[in-house]
Amino acid sequence: MEYKVIMPILSDTMDKGKIVKWYVKEGDFVKKGDKLCEVESDKAIMDIESFEEGVVKKILASAGDEVPVKSIIAIIEPVKSEKLKVKNEKKDNQSKENKKIQKEKKEINIDDIINSIVSQPQYTEKGSASPAAKKKAAEYEIDIEELQNKGEIPKPAHLKDIDKVIIKKYFTPKAAKLIKEYSLDINEFKLNHKIRSDEVLSYIKQNSIPKITKLTPNQIAVIKNVENSIKKPTFFIFEEINIAKKEGIKLTALIIKALSLAMQKNPLTRSVLKENKLLTYPASNISVAVNRDDGLYMCVIKNAEDKTLEEINEWLKEIKTKRLTIEDLSGSTFGISNLGMFGIERFTALINDKDAGIGAFGKMNEGEIKVTFTIDHRILNGVEAAKFVNYFKKEIQNV
Amino acid sequence: MLYREALNKAIDESMAADESVVILGEDVGRYGGSYRVSEGLFSKYGEKRVIDTPIAELSIVGNAIGMAIAGLRPIAEIMTANFSLLAMDQIINHAAKFRYMSGGKMTIPLTIRMPGGVSRQLAAQHSENYETLYSSVPGLIVLTASNATYAYYGLKEAVFLNDPVVFLEHELLYPMDMEFKEIKNFDPFKAEIVKEGKDLTIITYLKMRYDVLEAEKELKKAGIDAEIIDLNSLRPLDIETIANSVKKTKKCVIVEEDHKTGGMGAEIAAQIQEHCFYNLDAPILRIAGEDVPIPYNRKLELLSIPTPDKIVKKILEWKAKNGI
Repeated sequence: MEYKVIMPILSDTMDKGKIVKWYVKEGDFVKKGDKLCEVESDKAIMDIESFEEGVVKKILASAGDEVPVKSIIAIIEPVKSEKLKVKNEKKDNQSKENKKIQKEKKEINIDDIINSIVSQPQYTEKGSASPAAKKKAAEYEIDIEELQNKGEIPKPAHLKDIDKVIIKKYFTPKAAKLIKEYSLDINEFKLNHKIRSDEVLSYIKQNSIPKITKLTPNQIAVIKNVENSIKKPTFFIFEEINIAKKEGIKLTALIIKALSLAMQKNPLTRSVLKENKLLTYPASNISVAVNRDDGLYMCVIKNAEDKTLEEINEWLKEIKTKRLTIEDLSGSTFGISNLGMFGIERFTALINDKDAGIGAFGKMNEGEIKVTFTIDHRILNGVEAAKFVNYFKKEIQNV
Repeated sequence: MLYREALNKAIDESMAADESVVILGEDVGRYGGSYRVSEGLFSKYGEKRVIDTPIAELSIVGNAIGMAIAGLRPIAEIMTANFSLLAMDQIINHAAKFRYMSGGKMTIPLTIRMPGGVSRQLAAQHSENYETLYSSVPGLIVLTASNATYAYYGLKEAVFLNDPVVFLEHELLYPMDMEFKEIKNFDPFKAEIVKEGKDLTIITYLKMRYDVLEAEKELKKAGIDAEIIDLNSLRPLDIETIANSVKKTKKCVIVEEDHKTGGMGAEIAAQIQEHCFYNLDAPILRIAGEDVPIPYNRKLELLSIPTPDKIVKKILEWKAKNGI
């Protein structure tokens, strides 16, 4: 039985996943638990591991592809190590075995489609190409057969393959990169000499063509999050608090600890709204705005009330570089954001996801910090919020 | 506007404008037409212009040809396209040929309307449209009305053309409420670009237009920007619009409800490769009805014709299989 690697559902909002890179290639032997590829969802980047030992028979999605969840991205043929030698000879038989009786289903099932394609015979004669590809190749004196023999273009070749060859032939690598980045039509250029990047750049400038950057799944999720946030009925509480710094402990760690203790005294700050119900959680789970190399994430520290200052401090360090999982990004009920280190005096923050509120912390000024709480009025009213802020002010003196 | 109301409006206005326009067929008069297309016309124009006929298709078309030769503009209604087989000799051997046989002295300004296609469980003997058959006959004009706008303008044009027109309708369309657009300088022989797109061209006609539009929503989600063409006229075929689109998209899919073998799609595919073979970047895909008499069982009936999900599936398979 072959083992199909599927695009997992990494979060409840995920409908597509992007393959960031493959750690393996077709023909590689993998053991149980070996990393196969890296997948980016709308929330995090994760590795997909193999659940079986075997040979990677087919990779069905390339790096950069966005694939719907549950669709097959690779097929692994389970074999014992000693059988590895015969794997190539077996290939033909295997493809026959793969043929499945196609059932007519109401739902459109991408899996079935991909399955049926894996076992389809391909047109592999020499020089095979679509009429349009042949015409264009002749126009630019490109020898399709030669390039196919070298393995540079597939059999059969299509227009997109010929276009790649033309770009390689007439554009320097730098210029070709610009063509791709700006989605330029190569027919806009006179293809009678090697075109350098400065020529392409001046074309871009003359026609004022924008560079198109596709948003990452994380960026799209952030946009959705902040858009949702703006719909919430909120109010602000502006405060100034006194904090005594502690040697070797980050200011943010002190804030998290004090906040987690204050949250224990106010169940509403541990609550989220769901379909006309209020779900109140026992732990103080706090989302913290963390500036990482790969972007700004609202990382969630769980059970902060039970953690020591040192543990929280350690968490803050780890979370900066750690590979984020869904666990690291969900389950919070209150948030904090600290821009003090950038010299910001005071600011207001948008509430993260389903949180009840967020505290925005400015820079430390002679032991004093300006903080603004944004509160979701559906969960906490003014009185509750005022009480909570007072708890927090008390706790921050004691931590 | 309902599709059947658009047809009714076209007939009513034609009859009001020109006294030589008459309609005839089974139950078109007192009953108002089996799909209510001629509703209200009997009381308005009387039994001499709205004529109930016996159940005899050969005589319906034969009589209509006689009227046409004598100077009327008859609209003959065949209750369902399968019954038109009984009138085939009059349609093909007489209506289509008289202008040529008389050296141009006779014209046959005749419109033969007929509903057809796969409706709901009407089974094999009431589910065909014979568009392929009629489109292969020189001397006939074959129009297909997929929407209220074309039903209105197309039928009006057909009535006042001096050559015989086979005007094909689809049974599932009659009760559909559709948007009606006013058109100036209407050309009945021009295909309609229903939606512009750049990745591939989907050619269709009659009721499949709606299945294709439904499928297009899914294709869009898969990142495919399809151009959709509704042919409107099968003979003559607007190959110019088709070829221009295929030259742009380089890929072509034909969706038809009729049986695949020897179907309209085969003819269109042949003409495309005559006109723009060197622009094709993939084999032309035909999505058509299965080569079986249409089954009565509803599940089997749906299995035998293209449906939106089948259209999506076949296009995605075809794309992947051909590496495009």
